[in-house]
Amino acid sequence: MSDFPDFKLSATGRKVALSLVPVICPPEYVQFADAIVTNFELTISVSPLLLRKGVSAGFATYDLGALPRYRKRAHKLTGEDAERYFSSWEHGITPLHVQFARALNQLLSLGCYDVPEVMEAIGYRPAPWIEEVTRKRLTVYAADVRKQEVQILAPDPLRPGFRIEDVRRDRKVGA
Amino acid sequence: MAVARPALIEGVRPAGVFTRHDIHGDTVLDCDVVVVGSGAGGAPVAAELAEAGFDVLVVEEGSYYQTRDFTADTSAMVRQLYRDGGATMALGNPPILFQEGRAVGGSTVINGGMSWRTPDDILERWCKDGLDVSSKSLEPYFERVEKRMNVAPMDDDAIGRDNWLLKKGADAKGWEIIGNLRNQTHCVGSNRCAFGCPTGAKQSSLVSYIPRALHYGARVYANVKVESITLHGKRATGVVGHVSLPNGGRGPSVTVRAKLVVAACGAIHTPALLVRSGLSSRSGQLGGNLSLHPNVKCVAIFDENVTGWKGAHQAFQVREFADEGIGTFAAINLPPSVIAMSLPHRGAQLGALMDQYNHMVLAGMLVEDSTTGRVRTIKGRPQAFYQLTKRDTQVMQRGLSLLSELLFAAGAKRILLPFHNAQELANADEARRLLDQPIPPSSWEVVTVHMMGTARMGVDRTQAVTDQFGMMHDVDRLLVADASLFPTPIRVNPMETIMALATRAAGHVIDNARRYLS
Repeated sequence: MSDFPDFKLSATGRKVALSLVPVICPPEYVQFADAIVTNFELTISVSPLLLRKGVSAGFATYDLGALPRYRKRAHKLTGEDAERYFSSWEHGITPLHVQFARALNQLLSLGCYDVPEVMEAIGYRPAPWIEEVTRKRLTVYAADVRKQEVQILAPDPLRPGFRIEDVRRDRKVGA
Repeated sequence: MAVARPALIEGVRPAGVFTRHDIHGDTVLDCDVVVVGSGAGGAPVAAELAEAGFDVLVVEEGSYYQTRDFTADTSAMVRQLYRDGGATMALGNPPILFQEGRAVGGSTVINGGMSWRTPDDILERWCKDGLDVSSKSLEPYFERVEKRMNVAPMDDDAIGRDNWLLKKGADAKGWEIIGNLRNQTHCVGSNRCAFGCPTGAKQSSLVSYIPRALHYGARVYANVKVESITLHGKRATGVVGHVSLPNGGRGPSVTVRAKLVVAACGAIHTPALLVRSGLSSRSGQLGGNLSLHPNVKCVAIFDENVTGWKGAHQAFQVREFADEGIGTFAAINLPPSVIAMSLPHRGAQLGALMDQYNHMVLAGMLVEDSTTGRVRTIKGRPQAFYQLTKRDTQVMQRGLSLLSELLFAAGAKRILLPFHNAQELANADEARRLLDQPIPPSSWEVVTVHMMGTARMGVDRTQAVTDQFGMMHDVDRLLVADASLFPTPIRVNPMETIMALATRAAGHVIDNARRYLS
């Protein structure tokens, strides 16, 4: 059973997130935009409620905020326009704009470098490494591992003379 | 096509562990002692009291996972094992990101396993306030904890290149560097401490104290969120809560009736639990006195291939500047997604930097804070507030300058700094000049995993929330057993101090069993 709360970006929110992938992620990984945004959603799904609400509201504001200047909503911006618009938030009309842009940068970067193909491309391959060292531990150090497992359960009372039965019996007598 | 990976799977559970799957309707349970939280504080209390014959029931909000569940899938691990996906903030300028574990085993499942006794000078400071916590009086408890979770130096062959580079830099500077002591049985350097140890080497509460508690008859209820402590007058009589559903919803109610209640939810959630229960402290310190060892990191890039993810997490600590309030320097490898997230770069620039991931050494430092914040309980939920002081940002700035010098001495070619709009450093001279640069507080990227002090212990009930064993002043049968108790920050990793104090508290309960079982 998994522990994933149900959380999905709205259709517009997802479009905005997808339009930001080319702005925030390295160009060679834009092909993984769907997976990056899915990772983003999964991260948001377990974030504090305030952050979840902030992201939803922020996306709506970000999307509509492009209209006066570009006569298009943000999710329809591409290339230099998309870049310029995001940059205007990054350098901030208000501290809230700056914080939101930073948060998007962080969360989409996180989502990008969690894509297996991206990790592979930069030479990060932890699964075989874990397998290799686990095997080593259970062979080379098997005796010590077993010894510790036994130690964990071995009797070793904190107060050796203490007998709880005596306390319970005394309580019954007292009662 | 890349797809999101599945979540952790809860496997077969040992006897005595119950989860949401086992609770089908509103439930009432009885026991001698209910322990809320299963981490560094709750698990030792549970194990010690269970072995002494108490009927112990542990309630944990998070899920129950086992070693086999911990994989290389970083983001799935973070979502499953960290409260709020690791995105909790202490509000202030700058906001400080902090992380807490939320699983059976608590934060010990996701910490680095650093196991250090409380420094003598800190204990002396606490003793001056009347507490009987000298290093001599705590010695048997430290020894016991170290034995239980096998605190030991690292095997040399498990130490990765990033840590050897840290040592090389410290040696070149002539600075004191010490091998880390960690709770591990032959750590083999999977470098996954922060995401659940997949080899079973780290002796977190999950694989040490919790199995011991179960062996001696304790029951563990996972996925149960405690709402409040029940009271009869000034006497704690148990807890009420509910099953926490996978979608965050609320399942059947769970009531536990007990003769003694132990709050061990950590320094953020313990004060909130007490406040939700209608409790207060005449000291005004409940939720106050929050310290958190502000922590900053930098990324050094080397010409050589470091592959820092092969090798033990934090094998060494530099303690040279402890008397200046700079707790430690350490090398801390993190997965690429987490590093990418911490960089202000984007687009092609981000790509060019991250292509050098295997040439990076991520190094961090922690500061012994000089101020305190507060945990407020708002609509039942805790919110931390903490404002860094000028003095502490200056200490961070000096620490960062020194750490950068060390990394250049080790051969680093560039260093990326933990503040927005910061220039990179290219050599040691630039690192030294870093001290002259004004850095506004809002620019710093500060994180922490050491939250402490929000139900401080002390002999004077007008100054402290609990007595020196953690028994809450003015409330009967309510024990606090976590880092909330610390009167001050301790400059080192807090796990062993929490465990030693929890073990001592368990001894106090056993010594006074007649009273607590009546």
